[in-house]
Amino acid sequence: MRYDCIIIGAGVAGLTAGIRCAKEGLHTAIISSGMSALHFSSGSIDLLGYRDNTVVYKPFEAIDQLTGTIAQHPYTKCGKPLIIEALLFFKQECELQGLFLFDNGNLNHFHVTTLGTLKPTYFSQRSVFNEEVYSRFKAMKKIVIINFEGYRDFHPQLAAAQLSKHALFANCDIVAKQIEMPQLQDDGKHPHEFRSVDIARIFEKEDNIEKIADVIRLAADDADFVVMPAVMGITNFNQIHNKLQSRTRLLVYEVPTLPPSILGMRIDNALKSRFAELGGVYIAGDKVVRADITDDVVNAIYTNSHPENPMEAQCYILSTGSFFSGGLVSEFNNMYEPIFKLKLHHEPERNKWYNQNFFHSDSHGFLQYGVLTDESLHPYDSNNNIIQNLYCSGAIMAHYNPIKEGCGSGVAISTGYKAAGQIVNLLKHMS
Amino acid sequence: MKTLEAEVIVIGGGATGCGVLRDCTLRGIDAILIEKNDIASGTTGRNHGLLHSGARYAVRDLESATECIKENRILKKIAWHCIEPTGGLFITLPEDDPNYHNRLLEACKFAGIDAKEISVKKALSIEPNCNPNILSAVWVPDGTIDPFRLTSANILDSIERGSKVCTHTEVERIMLKQNQVIGVQCYDKTAGEYLEIYAPIIVNASGVWGQHICKTAGIELKMFPSKGSMVIIDYRINNVVVNRCRVPSDGDIIVPGDTVSLIGTTSRKIPYDTIDELVVDDDEIDVLLSDGEKLIPNVSRARVLRAYCGVRPLIAVSGEMDGRDISRGVVLIDHKERDNVQGLITIAGGKLMTYRLMAEMTTDLIAKKLGNSKRCLTHKIPLPGSEKRVGYTKKIKYFSGIPNSVVGSTHYRHGERVHNILSLKKRNYGLLCECEMVTLGEVEYAIKNLKVNDIVDLRRRTRIGMGPCQGELCAYRAAGLFTEFGDFTPDESTKLLRDFLEERFKGVKPVLWGDGLREFEFTYWIYQGLFGLGLVEDNNT
Repeated sequence: MRYDCIIIGAGVAGLTAGIRCAKEGLHTAIISSGMSALHFSSGSIDLLGYRDNTVVYKPFEAIDQLTGTIAQHPYTKCGKPLIIEALLFFKQECELQGLFLFDNGNLNHFHVTTLGTLKPTYFSQRSVFNEEVYSRFKAMKKIVIINFEGYRDFHPQLAAAQLSKHALFANCDIVAKQIEMPQLQDDGKHPHEFRSVDIARIFEKEDNIEKIADVIRLAADDADFVVMPAVMGITNFNQIHNKLQSRTRLLVYEVPTLPPSILGMRIDNALKSRFAELGGVYIAGDKVVRADITDDVVNAIYTNSHPENPMEAQCYILSTGSFFSGGLVSEFNNMYEPIFKLKLHHEPERNKWYNQNFFHSDSHGFLQYGVLTDESLHPYDSNNNIIQNLYCSGAIMAHYNPIKEGCGSGVAISTGYKAAGQIVNLLKHMS
Repeated sequence: MKTLEAEVIVIGGGATGCGVLRDCTLRGIDAILIEKNDIASGTTGRNHGLLHSGARYAVRDLESATECIKENRILKKIAWHCIEPTGGLFITLPEDDPNYHNRLLEACKFAGIDAKEISVKKALSIEPNCNPNILSAVWVPDGTIDPFRLTSANILDSIERGSKVCTHTEVERIMLKQNQVIGVQCYDKTAGEYLEIYAPIIVNASGVWGQHICKTAGIELKMFPSKGSMVIIDYRINNVVVNRCRVPSDGDIIVPGDTVSLIGTTSRKIPYDTIDELVVDDDEIDVLLSDGEKLIPNVSRARVLRAYCGVRPLIAVSGEMDGRDISRGVVLIDHKERDNVQGLITIAGGKLMTYRLMAEMTTDLIAKKLGNSKRCLTHKIPLPGSEKRVGYTKKIKYFSGIPNSVVGSTHYRHGERVHNILSLKKRNYGLLCECEMVTLGEVEYAIKNLKVNDIVDLRRRTRIGMGPCQGELCAYRAAGLFTEFGDFTPDESTKLLRDFLEERFKGVKPVLWGDGLREFEFTYWIYQGLFGLGLVEDNNT
């Protein structure tokens, strides 16, 4: 079988690219080797949160400045108009799956973290940011941060202490409460070893919501705002959120948790079902291991499960992520990109890969390492030749630090969207 | 200013100092211990955890070998819960001098070490991962010992019997009146206050830091620090200790310990002023991995978890600068004899294996000075946890309802004290650290009873954060419990989390490649990306 486009990697970058290709009528496949970084994410879309360790309030102005100064940055290769177009596209595609993303217009907004710190971001889900949350946050009198007995991955008292330091909450009483879930039936699972998904499953049972809401209402006492770990269901989260708010008559707010990230899983689900709806082929649990390249053109790729059967396409997108996701591999004294053996940007000496402290203000060098590409996102091979029908997107790209700059998902969406656009143009032009 | 009084002040919470405290306590001497960081945080906690049979010393140093095997037998009785009597092998590689094998057997016989020659086939059946090309093998009664648990058990026993321990308290100077010591001035780092402790006898058991302690009393004591580095492999790739049968050198031993294996050790002279900022050099890692691979070829395929180093204190007895007087054995100095300073004793040198013997020698001298005629009992009275020897299966039966793995791990780490930790309440045995099977109950017990001041201390008592993920999820889970079970505000708990991650990173960065780099990227992603922990201090200002 020959595809128009095969995308290797199903993170934000790969799925965005896949949706765009499929939507434009290309016969598209995505090969996913496992859970993407979305499962470990905040579930908000960070566009550009920090520049030189300072919080960015106006991300688009900051992008203008960035693209004017850092030639190699993926945002520079995309350009602001395309970034805006990509964000809008992403928002609309998610919305079609019932996942609503809210933004603050031209401004970043902030979401509360598990620790109670505030992080700048661009899009958030309704339970994390919306107009009502925004308007009421400012006049808040009392906030209650709750956790469910048995959930080890959230300490509301730590979050409360941290949050109350913020100037925004100077006149606000923030209290921490531990509540018991009435619905914890003994299903063999140790009731003190719950992870976010275990609790999300309890929320997903329709009969449970009213009881949970009543317990929350009781714990909230005279507070007008309830903050809880993000466990309000993976699938029917909109109904759960509405029901909880209407029955408690409170604003209920979700905080992204330690992995697995329910908020991230919602996005993952939305993107995957959108891709499927558009006729895309999703190949799960297989890993691309090598490629057949002649004269700077990829002829076929081969996977772990089918080492002898080539998979062929006119164009390919590589969006396999960084080291954590396996897109880049490091060894004792060396680094490489395992599928196409692409040219990397990195320091050869191992002791340059990291900084002296975990929380060093310059972050760590290896986070900026990755594949070198030209303006059109074509990568270079080891002989410095462009591979003509291969494009790169997302965290595998060099010259940006997703954590330090707070721009991981923004870069993934923009480069995924751009890579797909290049292919669409190319193939339409040919036909 | 706060003041305390005692008969004896012990400076240094390593194995030796804690041993002295316990010995004093058992003889009814009123003693107090001061440690500038945590117990076992210096040299004690930075060795390879080998329960020496003495075979490694037998050829070159018969006296040390004899001491080792004697203490080996005592420790197996009084501290069985800190020990795994795995046994050990000395293997001869094709490139090694084949005669060393016979010299070793001969020397072991002299030292009273029960070493025996075994066939290569037998050796490979005992240790299937061992290099199959070995020429010969010797079995010895080596084992493994956990220095953290051993030291902690000494402290626990002393506290339970009424002695006082001040950790995270640094001695600023020794106070003298004419030629007699009268006490120490110190700074309590946790409380942020100074205190004075008065006592007529001061024991300087601060290892390599003893040079500095002596200096505050106007005494010159010259240390020659030697750095030893080790790497930890993220699997228990061997079940018995594997030694290379040759004159001891770099990278010639692999010791299993709990869930991991450890390749030891290098030896490098370092300047005294660098002892507080030791780093493992890249070429040390190269040597350890390439030589470790010769003993157990699987080493090259396993993930390296971390690298760390300790500093051996070698001491110049007469205070002269040339190497002639440097002793490698135990050094007990009565500064009254040496420097005419009454009441000050320095105990240094030696090794973890002989900590009890060193403590006995020191306490004998203390007792003499105080006119105390009680005999040493530390070789007879078991440490807390080792009171009774009850088998693993019996414990599992006793705690039926709690998963076997949880009972097993808790019993393995705390011996009989498992009864002070586990209960059938579900919250008690819920896991916080899946890598090392550490429960909420164990964390609660440690915070309340084992002098735990931060998550780093907690790690030494429980192994939390010592597994493959190096504290990725459990560090946060544990941090909050300091507020629940300890005397910590939420902000302090958050700071503990940050400090812990910084501390873990020290051992991770020298080996940051492969899966280790992936794991670090994930951890960084969580704590900086998801939590913004690095921003916390900025928020405060």
